[in-house]
Amino acid sequence: MTIRPGRIAVHIALILYTILALGPIFLILINAFKTRRAIFADPLGLPNGQTWTTIGFDRVFANSDFGLYFFNSLTVTIVSLVLIVLIGAMAAWALTEYRFRGNTILSLYLAIGIMVPIRLGSVSILRMMVELNLVNTLTALILVYVAQGLPLAILILGEFIQQIPKDLRDAARCDGVSEYRIFFSIILPLISPAIATVAVFTMVPVWNDLWFPLILAPGDGKQTITLGVQQFIGQYVTDWNAVLASLTLAIAPVLALYLLFSRYLVRGLTAGAVK
Amino acid sequence: MADVSLHGVAKSFGATEILRDINLSVDDGEFVVFVGPSGCGKSTLLRIIAGLESVSGGEIRIDKKRVNELPPADRKIAMVFQSYALYPHMNVYKNMAFGLKFAKTHKAEADRRVRQAAEILKLTPLLDRKPRELSGGQRQRVAIGRAIVRNPSVFLFDEPLSNLDAALRVNTRLEIAKLHRDLGATMIYVTHDQVEAMTLASKIVVLNQGRIEQVGAPLELYRSPRNLFVAGFIGSPRMNFIKGQVLRAEGSNVTIGFAGTEATLDVRPGSVNPGDHVTVGIRPEHMEAGGAESTSLRGTIDAVEQLGESSYVYMRLASGDDVIVRAPGETEATPGGTYTAHVPTRALHIFDAAGLSVLPDQS
Amino acid sequence: MTDLTASHVQSTDVVPARSRFPIHIVVFLAPALAIYTLFSIYPLVDTIRLSLYTGDETGARSFVGLQNFSTLLTDPNWSGQFWNAFTNNLIFFAIHMVVQNGIGLGLAMLLSLPRLTGGSVYRTLIFLPTMLSVVIIGFIWQLMLNPLWGIAPSLLKAVGLGSLFGPWLGQESTALLTVSLISVWQFVGIPMMLIYAALLNIPDDLLDAATVDGAGPFSVFWFVRLPLILPTLGVVSILTFVANFNAFDLIYAIKGALAGPNFSTDILGTFFYRTFFGFQLQVGSPTMGAAVATAMLVIILIGVLIYLFGVQRRLQRHTF
Repeated sequence: MTIRPGRIAVHIALILYTILALGPIFLILINAFKTRRAIFADPLGLPNGQTWTTIGFDRVFANSDFGLYFFNSLTVTIVSLVLIVLIGAMAAWALTEYRFRGNTILSLYLAIGIMVPIRLGSVSILRMMVELNLVNTLTALILVYVAQGLPLAILILGEFIQQIPKDLRDAARCDGVSEYRIFFSIILPLISPAIATVAVFTMVPVWNDLWFPLILAPGDGKQTITLGVQQFIGQYVTDWNAVLASLTLAIAPVLALYLLFSRYLVRGLTAGAVK
Repeated sequence: MADVSLHGVAKSFGATEILRDINLSVDDGEFVVFVGPSGCGKSTLLRIIAGLESVSGGEIRIDKKRVNELPPADRKIAMVFQSYALYPHMNVYKNMAFGLKFAKTHKAEADRRVRQAAEILKLTPLLDRKPRELSGGQRQRVAIGRAIVRNPSVFLFDEPLSNLDAALRVNTRLEIAKLHRDLGATMIYVTHDQVEAMTLASKIVVLNQGRIEQVGAPLELYRSPRNLFVAGFIGSPRMNFIKGQVLRAEGSNVTIGFAGTEATLDVRPGSVNPGDHVTVGIRPEHMEAGGAESTSLRGTIDAVEQLGESSYVYMRLASGDDVIVRAPGETEATPGGTYTAHVPTRALHIFDAAGLSVLPDQS
Repeated sequence: MTDLTASHVQSTDVVPARSRFPIHIVVFLAPALAIYTLFSIYPLVDTIRLSLYTGDETGARSFVGLQNFSTLLTDPNWSGQFWNAFTNNLIFFAIHMVVQNGIGLGLAMLLSLPRLTGGSVYRTLIFLPTMLSVVIIGFIWQLMLNPLWGIAPSLLKAVGLGSLFGPWLGQESTALLTVSLISVWQFVGIPMMLIYAALLNIPDDLLDAATVDGAGPFSVFWFVRLPLILPTLGVVSILTFVANFNAFDLIYAIKGALAGPNFSTDILGTFFYRTFFGFQLQVGSPTMGAAVATAMLVIILIGVLIYLFGVQRRLQRHTF
């Protein structure tokens, strides 16, 4: 390109938008460490020697079970992800590798779940969980999230498995390796790069979901962090220090993980998007 | 129609120099081929002429006018890309007419030109097809057609044949040569394939590491390569190089010892002195025939490749040098045996320690 | 080798393929199909079934056909709320299509400029809000726009627009727009990434060819890049549609289940929640809830079908 007008204008536009995207989050984070007076007197200022306080955090920890909620979210997210990847990979392998009657229909059947939100079945899901005695358990959440995440995971993993050279499996078959061994010792290790992509599409919605925790596990100390924050803020809405601190506690781990792994997450997302 | 000239053109990306001090003139109607190994800067040079890359220094003139500041569309050029770069969402007709829309060509005139180009390239039945419905060769012709309709002063080709299979490549090569004859336009063509360069060019520009090594007609480069690089690049199989030393020198007449034998020939006066190390170059195809003033090389045969009309004998000389000899097709040479090749003195190329040819200029 | 692979089924092996379905295929598929069927498909089907029933206080259910739907669409107690939620949802969707996908497209265009320094940093940072919970985002903006705190008014004053500020989230006239824009703010990263990936996929040669053909930056965008990313824009649209007609968390976090003021931010998701669980004056009804969910399902299916058969078929995917 000979003429590239306004490269600087491009950067100004991008920087402005980046500030717009991050500013609110940044403001919450800095004000969480300020006294109530400073929050109102100088909302844009960084905390300093005079305004620094962690009183909000103290109140959050005193009045709620944040550690527990965090642990709940972690359990639900990780168990769901592991199950989705494992079960999803098995199904994706079966659907891409073997041609059998009903293969196409099964693929279409699974595709329903990509387009239709499972939320719309909530009435029946709640009824079922009541009958199974699973209300207010993490198991209920995990089961629903696995069901929700599987279709897309199978699609992504299937496309990935297709790219694994067929010779690799055929060579193993010539050596008399069983189909199970082929899957667990050849295919499964090879799809690990796809897990990043699957993780973007399954972990984030699970971690952030409010709906299912709200209807399936709203109490008994089984709240996830998202629901926990929502309930806490509803209760302490006028305590600005506590509200800002609870928001910060909810944001911080995601922020840290995202900045650590953003390279993989973003790559996974764009790789998935190309399809 | 137009000529193209480059004056001191340089290009660098950050600290890396891609091209330095390129001076070249392309006459009106000439077919110039830029050839060189990958990464030599030939494609960059073409893109600079097209206006797709800016220069870090120097001047480009098309039709004697400075065009450095002109966008590609105003340079009266058309370009054929290696990947063809056909717009996948437009049919053949629209692909060809796309550029005319911006040149504000009248609709009827645009239609006439597209149909005429389609006629020349035998694309008329395909005008409604999308690129994905075409074969590689057809896509190639559309890409050329898109260039023709613009009626450019200069055609630029960027490795246009490298995505075609061997048979189609020969065909298309002939078609491009014919096109050049018919249109009489100036064409600049980039390739890494020296056969394409030799067959198409009226003038070859050999590039290496961002510099022009030699410019000349195909046979001129073949007969009198100016340096080791050009000698090794032009010709297939590649020229044999054997280490040698100047034994005696009387004016321009020198005797060179190499591979246990010696040869006496004329060089540029004063270019070498007794005792200098030189490189002796011999093309494989010049080693079969004996002759009056010839010297012979003996060696052990490593391998023999039978091509039918000729054979290539790979042998190791007593001096340790490996050479390839083109032998008759029905040669009786077998691996492990010995082989003697005769080399006429006039087929020898002599390069000094810096790699430059020391033979007197032939014209 | 007793195990069969699909490609070998007909040709090799001792066991005739038709006589026995290969057991390992069943083993590989069973867990996924079981969980998916039980906790995704069955509830959806059961919800549709439930929508045809009505229940009383004792829990006994009786079949009423489509009566729930006619109640929903015509009974003045229901239809007003339903259509209000539906209209609001349409507005919510329209704002996302125009603003979210418009800004996403713009950012993607900027980010795909050749040799842009810091592109990946911008991408990472702009995408960041997408990773946070909608609930958190809702609270953050509630604080930002809170007149008590005064961040928004003082920032507006700083750029000379102080007079524009109002209690946007509290006013009936602006609440829906404000909530929509908060959601747009959070999710701009998704269309941005998808479109960016699609733009990257266009070979440079094609853009060079267009430049040589005399197309300026605007023409290159309009005649070459835009047509080539249309399939991606289609995907972005349907994703936006499904997400928007299924949204709930943001409104619930900011405005509660009542979606105030005066239901001005009520969308189908919150309407469904209230119908199912009830609120102040009304007891929840699983069967009416199921009817609302089924209505939402139908709306989403119509959208998906329009996309699959009306849009996607016409958009040729290009391989380069």
